Amino acid sequence: MKFTSKKPHFEHLRKKWTARQRAAKDSFWASHGDSLRQLALGSLGGLMLLSHPNQQLPAPNFTVSRDDILKGYDQNVLLAEQLQDKMPKDVKSLDPLEEKDILDILNKNFGFKVTAKISNIRLNRNYGLIGGEQHLYRYPGDNIYTQTDNAVDWAKYGEAGMAPGLGAWGYFAPSKQELTEKDKLREKYYLAIQTFLVPGYAEDVNRLRDFFKFRKMLVVNPKTGQAVVAVIGDAGPGEFTGKHLGGSPEVMDMLGLADGPRKGPVLYFFIDDPSDEIPLGPVKVKNQA
Amino acid sequence: MKQFYTHLVEIESIIIRLDKMVLSKEEKLHLAHLIDSSLHHTILDAILSQLSDQDKRMFMTHLTEDNHDKFWKFLNEKVVGIEDKIKNAAETLKKELEKDLKEAGRLR
Repeated sequence: MKFTSKKPHFEHLRKKWTARQRAAKDSFWASHGDSLRQLALGSLGGLMLLSHPNQQLPAPNFTVSRDDILKGYDQNVLLAEQLQDKMPKDVKSLDPLEEKDILDILNKNFGFKVTAKISNIRLNRNYGLIGGEQHLYRYPGDNIYTQTDNAVDWAKYGEAGMAPGLGAWGYFAPSKQELTEKDKLREKYYLAIQTFLVPGYAEDVNRLRDFFKFRKMLVVNPKTGQAVVAVIGDAGPGEFTGKHLGGSPEVMDMLGLADGPRKGPVLYFFIDDPSDEIPLGPVKVKNQA
Repeated sequence: MKQFYTHLVEIESIIIRLDKMVLSKEEKLHLAHLIDSSLHHTILDAILSQLSDQDKRMFMTHLTEDNHDKFWKFLNEKVVGIEDKIKNAAETLKKELEKDLKEAGRLR
């Protein structure tokens, strides 16, 4: 523990729960240690998963980790190095040459198609200031407690709270019973994008609304290389905020922007994924990058 | 992170109680790690206690692959009423945690 606390209720829980956790661990290893140690050489990954509940090993072929963001940072720092010379000094719209250079780097590093334009539709910009958003209601009656899969999720993302209104496309599901894993991930990794500033939006609202609904995007923190695949789940933020897009608490965390002012410059592009094969969540660069 | 047992174990009651306490983010995270780790070891203990050494090897293979469908098919074939066993193990731990929370609530 790298902090001190004088709150008696915290100290009480800390002591009790540290003892409970040790007892659970000791009992587990006392009962199964012998057989698991024999297996350790053949399956170190499995042993790690047994020991660390909040650790997820990278998927074997797509190199996606959903939780170990520190690991993502370490590998993606190579991407940050490549982007360094291509980024404009100010947070501004990219010129065509900058856009091309950056897209080349992203496509080479991630191995899926990243693009500024699909069906002749482009955003108003692809480099801007992202700010932290709140959680969105997924279905009528949803709340902050039902959005967390475990206690650590609550501790990390709970305090962002719930947005007072619905996302641009309403609820993610009509009811709790009908909420799918896909819906959950869409809320977890959502972006608010200034779709209303897209050229020609007012003249073609219906088509563009459909196009942007849950459109998959790659967001990259160019300073660290941290990257996340997310969907457009809301419209915003307003121009007066000085920000150009918003990210869910989980998106901000995966980009390394969850602490302090909860904002920072990011690159954001469409992912051309018509077969819906690219999973949402933090994404690592390919090994050869 | 979603665990293979997330759909069986509800910790909302613990979280709601914790959320009412005045805690910093660091304090919340520290306690949350203790909860998740205790729950994880308790549930794994409940499962592994029902498996032979050979089946423990298969269990670990499926766990590493992160294929929940395959994983549950395997567990249901090997252990009758495994879901209830997991729920019961988690409930026992939850009652202890709730008792601790009540005691802590009186110290505020």
